Amino acid sequence: MASAIVTTECGDVDATAASHGHEDRPTLSVIVPLYNEQESVRPLYAAIVQAVGELGRSFEMVFVDDGSTDDTVAIVTEIARFDSRLRLVKFRRNYGQTPAMAAGIEHARGEVLVTMDGDLQNDPADIGLLLAKIEEGYDIVVGWRYNRQDKLVSRKIPSRIANWLIGKVTGVPIRDNGCSLKAFRADLIKQIPLYSEMHRFIPAMASIAGPRIAEIKVRHHPRRYGQSKYGLSRIYKVLLDLMVIKTVATFASRPLRWFAVLSLPLFLVSCAAFAHSIVALINGRDMSMPIAGSGIVFLASAMVLLCSGALAELTYARGDIRDHEFSKLTQTIRVARGGARRIP
Amino acid sequence: MTAPYSPSRLSIIVPVGARRADLKTLYAEYKSGVEAIGLPYEFVFVLDGPRGDAARALDELLQAGEPLTVINLTRCFGEAAALMAGFERSSGDAILTLPAYHQIEGSELHKLVAGLATADVTVGYRWPRAGNAIEKARRAIFHGLVNFVTGSRLRDLGCGARALRRQVFAELDLYGDQHRFIAILAARLGFRVAEVAVRQSPHDRRSRVYRPREYLHHFLDLISIFFLVRFTKKPLRFFGMIGAVTFGIGALLITYLGIERIAFQSSLADRPALLLAALLIVLGMQIFALGLLGELIIFTHARNVKDYRVEEVIHYPESDEASSSENAADARSRPKDVPHSPSSAVA
Repeated sequence: MASAIVTTECGDVDATAASHGHEDRPTLSVIVPLYNEQESVRPLYAAIVQAVGELGRSFEMVFVDDGSTDDTVAIVTEIARFDSRLRLVKFRRNYGQTPAMAAGIEHARGEVLVTMDGDLQNDPADIGLLLAKIEEGYDIVVGWRYNRQDKLVSRKIPSRIANWLIGKVTGVPIRDNGCSLKAFRADLIKQIPLYSEMHRFIPAMASIAGPRIAEIKVRHHPRRYGQSKYGLSRIYKVLLDLMVIKTVATFASRPLRWFAVLSLPLFLVSCAAFAHSIVALINGRDMSMPIAGSGIVFLASAMVLLCSGALAELTYARGDIRDHEFSKLTQTIRVARGGARRIP
Repeated sequence: MTAPYSPSRLSIIVPVGARRADLKTLYAEYKSGVEAIGLPYEFVFVLDGPRGDAARALDELLQAGEPLTVINLTRCFGEAAALMAGFERSSGDAILTLPAYHQIEGSELHKLVAGLATADVTVGYRWPRAGNAIEKARRAIFHGLVNFVTGSRLRDLGCGARALRRQVFAELDLYGDQHRFIAILAARLGFRVAEVAVRQSPHDRRSRVYRPREYLHHFLDLISIFFLVRFTKKPLRFFGMIGAVTFGIGALLITYLGIERIAFQSSLADRPALLLAALLIVLGMQIFALGLLGELIIFTHARNVKDYRVEEVIHYPESDEASSSENAADARSRPKDVPHSPSSAVA
């Protein structure tokens, strides 16, 4: 009789601590967020086991149940009883796709992490291609659904616009950010903070570490069961999230400078307003109340912005994420043949 | 998955603040209600600041050999702090928080505890509720607003009688005035919250005159819960919207003024609208900057902040007959801060 290890987590108990005990780290972890996928789960499991089994690598599956209300959990638990390679991370309630991905990444133990959708639209047979690319030396490999099987107007066109925007703003030109089928080097992705609704931007978010990103074509199947759960959210959310990513990725380590840049136009406007007033004064005309007033308002605001920048600098200095840490995740070091000379 | 839960020991925490009844009669009423449940219990009274008469009453009860713990806080730290202090001294696997004044009838306490079988938190709501039409309207408006903001469906936030599984309390990190929102906060952590109708105490049925201060409290509660729900996760989205709209109005106004100045030669200098436009632009930028600041705070702490709560990790390790008992022992010996575990091994 198999007996279960059921780890109950409360509060800040370190979930990874439990898994560090195992020495046999698999090569590959397949992470699948599930939300009411009772029909898809069995075929999905079978497809993963078959496709990944052919690769001849050690692997594990991490299924994350995002608070399903149907029989998903029962079905996965049943499968898990017969397959020790499967582990189910069960959320207390529905949290959304990003937390599900983040939890999967946190609980996975493999050296290469592959994320994919639970609705059978991604093809597990493509995992081998992703893995091969990672082993070529890439840090992140993203799938591109070149023959996407979705509705044109409601899904494909908005997604094309969003991808173009994301590429322009983040500087990571990926044709298909929305494709869940991606592979990551575990050491890198586990260090990237994922929160809010960043699942669409994981490569962009990871770009703060300067990873080597590759994009490969993957198959995409029409939805067989159920209906799509994670629709494209409103465009303004995407825009604001983008702004967050952009800010965080480029200016997080120099907040004061960023705020100073923001306050610069205000300074210039207030200078112009004051100049106007002084010229009026010299020429003996009456000073204009609205213009001088605007000058004062702009000057005050520029000062407050600068102070906010100082506050931001303080926050960063006291926070626990440093830009230079990320450089360590992707750096390559080459040493002269005789080895580096050690200074005594 | 989750085994049927029944608490084995109750801890009753009573924070004693400015509003309090005679503790002796209150204790007698609560005690009879708790004894009717038939579980071992302990009472923890937390005196939030020096409360002379209450301290004396509790001293007398202590001397009479009642099973009490009395915690004295040296100054008034607030009810949330008092609850946390009481919780740290408590040992039961179900926590019952009760107000220090007659709000519900003591004989109704068993309903709250019974509700824990299917929920992680039960909050009392006084029903049938006394009060005239104005009071009813006031309550309806307040709860309507709170429910609109939080997406919950609660009917009596003012009721201080709640039962919680110990794990829930351990994860709640209360501060300030958050004790009033325990139900909302617990639901946000993913716990199941149920409302239980309890009879209102006759003392509570007398209509009170609500001073403006109480309305102010309601208003502040509403604002704080609004920020808690809307702001703490996505500050830039919240502030960004407000900032962008403010900035946009200002920019439109200034463009309009500029066009008028250039095209129609109307003087810019004597128009107060210019000042308004400048103010709006500047305000918009600052609100936006605040959002950035909030986002930066979240980003720099993102590794410690988890957006999700994992109920359990289900994994059947490869096992043969010999190691299965070992694994079972392993499962039990996992470090847990909570004495009871809501889930049991699936066998």
